[in-house]
Amino acid sequence: MKKLYILYDSECELCRRCRVWLGQQPAFVPLVFVPFQSAEAACRFPALKELHPEEEIVVIDDRGAVWQGGAAWVMCLWALREYREWSLRLGQPVLLGAARRLCTVIASNRHKISTWLREASSGEELERKLALIPDQPPCAPGGYCRPR
Amino acid sequence: MNYVVGTYILYLVISVALTVWVARTLHKNGRLFLVDAFHGNEPLADSINHLLVVGFYLVNIGYVSLALKYGDKAADLQQLFEALSTKVGAVLLILGVMHFFNLYVFSKMRKRALLHGAPPPVPPQAYTPVVE
Repeated sequence: MKKLYILYDSECELCRRCRVWLGQQPAFVPLVFVPFQSAEAACRFPALKELHPEEEIVVIDDRGAVWQGGAAWVMCLWALREYREWSLRLGQPVLLGAARRLCTVIASNRHKISTWLREASSGEELERKLALIPDQPPCAPGGYCRPR
Repeated sequence: MNYVVGTYILYLVISVALTVWVARTLHKNGRLFLVDAFHGNEPLADSINHLLVVGFYLVNIGYVSLALKYGDKAADLQQLFEALSTKVGAVLLILGVMHFFNLYVFSKMRKRALLHGAPPPVPPQAYTPVVE
């Protein structure tokens, strides 16, 4: 596995914070963050709509393997140097079921949580951190993914 | 030379000999573990192994020297053996604890090294075309 694409909701404060945190961690597998609403996501993954990325986080590797929700989070942790041990623990059936349920609950309430987060702090800090780890430029070499 | 000095001499000889034996055993058998933990980087493993043994000697011989004067003072041969066995027993326990601590450190290092090549813990749920 050479890359792990993380398709997140760029309109949700909680998701953007998670993205900043993930981006700051040392990783075994490079993580590429793509907002699922972006043109880049649509042309890189032509069948993305069928996966319903607006419901829960979607993680796709460079060969097209898809994980979603709790499993996607386990894969994110697996990609990180400091958390791979945890991902192996969470990957066991009993804990994975719990992780899936927890992620579903958080994902379906993420806009509510984002409202609380926005009330608790100003967005400047987050914007600054987001600028440090930019999204992929919306164009792959060869130009296929240039917005058309 | 009275019984107390006799206890001390025997204590030092037995304790230091035991320390050397345990250190050599660790050095010899821990090497494989360390080579594995450092992805087959033998020079690094040998260096760490050597440093660990130095630390092991320092802690153990330090403890043996510090503990020399503590304990009952022997007045006859029976008391000499009692005092000696208490002191050597304490050294053995310390050696045992150190030994398991070393094992723990080694296995921790090895585990971390194995993580590097661990496969994904959950199988993919679907496949989707990717445009590279």
